[in-house]
Amino acid sequence: MSITADISETATATGFSREGVEAVSRARLDTGAARDARLRAWELYESLPMPQRTDEEWRRTDLRGLKLDRLRPYAALDGSGVSPVRALEAAGVEDAAAQIALGPNAGVVVQRDAGTILATLDPDAAAQGVIFTDLATAYREHPELVERWFMTQAVPASFGKFEALHAAFWQGGSFLYVPKGVTIEAPFRAFSLISEPGAAIFSHTLAVVEEGAQAFMADAFRSPSLEGQSFASAVVELIVEPDAKLRYVQVQDWGRNVWNFMTERATLAQDATLNSLHVALGSKFSKASIGSHLRGKNTLAEMLGIYFADGDQFFDHHTWQLHESPYGTSDLEFKGALKGNARSVYSGLIKVFEGAQKTDAYQQNRNLVLSRTARADSIPNLEIAANDVRCTHGATVSQVEEEHLFYLQTRGVPRSEAQNLIVEGFFRPIIDRVPVEEVQEFLRTAIARKVGI
Amino acid sequence: MSDGNSNGTTPMFEIENLHAEIDGKEILKGVDLTVNQGEIHALMGPNGSGKSTLAYVVAGDPRYEVTEGSIRFQGEDILEWSPDERARKGLFLAFQYPTVIPGVSMANFLRLAVTNVRTARAEEIAAEGGSAQPFTPREFRRLMREKMALLKMDDAFATRYLNEGFSGGEKKRAEILQMALLEPKMAVLDETDSGLDIDALKVVSEGVNNLSGPKVGMLLITHYQRLLNFIKPDFVHIMHDGRIVESGGPELAHELEAKGYEGLRARTAEAAAS
Ligand SMILES: Nc1ncnc2c1ncn2[C@@H]1O[C@H](COP(=O)(O)OP(=O)(O)OP(=O)(O)O)[C@@H](O)[C@H]1O
Ligand SMILES: [Mg+2]
Repeated sequence: MSITADISETATATGFSREGVEAVSRARLDTGAARDARLRAWELYESLPMPQRTDEEWRRTDLRGLKLDRLRPYAALDGSGVSPVRALEAAGVEDAAAQIALGPNAGVVVQRDAGTILATLDPDAAAQGVIFTDLATAYREHPELVERWFMTQAVPASFGKFEALHAAFWQGGSFLYVPKGVTIEAPFRAFSLISEPGAAIFSHTLAVVEEGAQAFMADAFRSPSLEGQSFASAVVELIVEPDAKLRYVQVQDWGRNVWNFMTERATLAQDATLNSLHVALGSKFSKASIGSHLRGKNTLAEMLGIYFADGDQFFDHHTWQLHESPYGTSDLEFKGALKGNARSVYSGLIKVFEGAQKTDAYQQNRNLVLSRTARADSIPNLEIAANDVRCTHGATVSQVEEEHLFYLQTRGVPRSEAQNLIVEGFFRPIIDRVPVEEVQEFLRTAIARKVGI
Repeated sequence: MSDGNSNGTTPMFEIENLHAEIDGKEILKGVDLTVNQGEIHALMGPNGSGKSTLAYVVAGDPRYEVTEGSIRFQGEDILEWSPDERARKGLFLAFQYPTVIPGVSMANFLRLAVTNVRTARAEEIAAEGGSAQPFTPREFRRLMREKMALLKMDDAFATRYLNEGFSGGEKKRAEILQMALLEPKMAVLDETDSGLDIDALKVVSEGVNNLSGPKVGMLLITHYQRLLNFIKPDFVHIMHDGRIVESGGPELAHELEAKGYEGLRARTAEAAAS
C-alpha cells in the first residue's frame, strides 16, 4: 500500500534537474504516460523565464530570498508507521484526534513531507462511489478519472514557471471524486505537513464534484517553524460540474521558514456553485493565485479570504473572477490584518468576457493595519467586454480607531483585549458567512492568537 | 483627606481645579466638583461649555491633556490610570454619542467587560458574600436578558453589533444596559435623556433609579428639567466656559428652565452689582 521505492540515490542532492524528475517518477512508480507528462513539464519549466518584477503579477514580489538550488527537490516519501495524531500535533494542529476522526469527517488524508500517513474514507460515502485518497494512489487506481482532470482544465502545466515545476515534481496531495447526484455533508479533510526543512513539497489537490453532487473539502497546510528554508508548491484544481455545489476551505499555516506558492483555479459548469474560503496565517512568504472560471451559464462563485500577517511575513494574493458565460454571479471578499513589519499585496481582477451578459460581479478587499511599520497594498481591476453587466469593487486600507479602543476600555476591557475584539470584529462578517461551526471556532482562536503575538 | 484612606470624611469623588486641553486649546478652566456616596448631581450648561469634555476627562480619554488639578476617586488620584483601570475600579461613562463598532457583538463584548470588572473586584464581591467566578456564556446570556427586559430592549440586541444601526434612543438604552451590567460606583451620564421619546425616558430613568442607591454617586449631564422630574438630583451645577459658575439645589434647574442661561446670568450680574 505505501510506496517504498528507493530515492536515496539522490535524496541529498539539491537543486531541480531532469534527473530529479526521473527519480521522483521512479519513486512514485509512475505509469509511462505520467512519466512523459512530468518530463514535458520539466522542459516547459526550463524554457520559461523566472518571473521578473516587470511582470505585473510579480511587480511587488521579491523572490531574491528564495534559494531554489539549495533545496532538495523531494522530501521523505515513507509515511508508514508514523502516528497521524503525533504528526499533526508536531505541526501545531490542536485537537488532532478529533480532526481526523471519521463521523465528523467523511474522509481524511494526512501527508507529511511527501509521504502518506493516513487515508480514510467513510464506508457509506465509499458505497456511493465517492473516492477520497492521496493523489498518487488515486492515479494508480483510477488513472482514467485522474488523467481526465489532472492539470488539463483548471491549471495546466503551461500556466507559468512554478506551475510547470509543480507538474514535473508533484508528489503529495489528494483526490476527491463525488459522483453524480451524491451529497456528502461532512467534510473531506486533507492535511499537508512538513517535518524536514530544506526540501520542496509539492502538494496537489484535485476535487471533482459531478453533476448535481454536493461536497465540502478542507485543505490544511501546517508545519512548525523550522531552521532552514522550505519550499511549498501547491496547485488546487476544483471541478464543479453542472448543478453541483462545492464548499472549499483552505488554511495555510506553514512555519515561518516556508516559501509558499499556491495556484488555484475552479471551473464552474452551468448552474454550479462554489463557496470558497482561504485563510493565510503562516509561512515567511506566500504568493497565492486564486481564480474561478464561471464557464457555464448561471453559476455562483463566492470567494472569501482572510489573511493576517505579522513579524516579517509577506503575503501576496491575486484573485481572478473570470466571467466566461452569461448570468454568472461572483462575490469576492478578502480581508487582511497586518502587524509588525508585515506586508501584503492584494490584487484582484474581475474579467467579463464578450457575451457574458447579466454578469453580477462584486469584489471587495479591506485591510486593517495594526502597526506603523506594516503595509498593505490593494489593487482592484476591472476588464469588461460585455455591456449588460453589474460590476462593483472596492478597496480600503485603514487603522484601528483610537475612539473604538477608548470606548471599549471605558467598559473595563484592557487595551490589548479591546484590540483583539476589534480585529475579530473586522473579520466577523466573513466568519459569519461560513456557516460551519468548527471553521468559525478555529478562526476565532487563530485571530486571537495572532493579535496576542 | 490626602491620606488615600476611604474613611467617612473622604469624599467618594472629588475634582479640584481641573484644567484640560485638547489640541492645545484649553476647554476646562478650573473645575471643582465633589460627589459623595449616594448623591445625585446634575450638571447643566450651554452648548460648548465643556460638559462632555469633563465626562471624557473623567473617563480618561487620551485626546485630552490635563494641565492642572486633580481627580480623586475613593481618595486615590486617578489621572495616571488607563480608562480600563478606571472602569474596573467602578467609574462609568454613558456617552453622549456612543461609538459604533462593527463586527463586535453586544453579548461577546459585554461578557468580556463584565468578566474584567468583576475579576478586578473579586475581593469586594467576596466580602459581600458573592462570587466573582466568570459567568458562563449561558449564565451571562440570562443575566443580560433580564437586564434588557427591565429596559424594554428586544433580545435581538444581544447578538447585534455594538451600536451598529441602533437608533439614537436605542443607543442610549444600550448605554444604560451596560451600566446595569457593570454596576459602577460612580457614573457620569452624558445627555442620556436626549433623543429619547417620553416612554423611553421613563423606562431609562427607572433603570437609572434602580442603579442609584446609598453607595453610588451620579453625575447627570442634561439640558432639560424633564429628566430631573424622573431622577431627582440632590445638587444642580451650571457650567459656563469650562468652569462651574453656580451650584444649588433642585430649584436651580427650575429657575434655569424658566429664565434660561441669559436670565440666570443677568440675575447673577445684578446680585454681584448690588
Ligand atoms: N479638537 C478640538 N479642538 C478645539 N476645540 C475643541 C475640540 N474638541 C472640542 N472642542 C471644543 O470644546 C468645547 C466644549 O465641548 P463639549 O463637547 O465639552 O461641550 P458640551 O458642553 O458637552 O456641549 P453640548 O451641550 O453641545 O453637548 C466646544 O467649544 C468644542 O468646540
Ligand atoms: Mg456634550
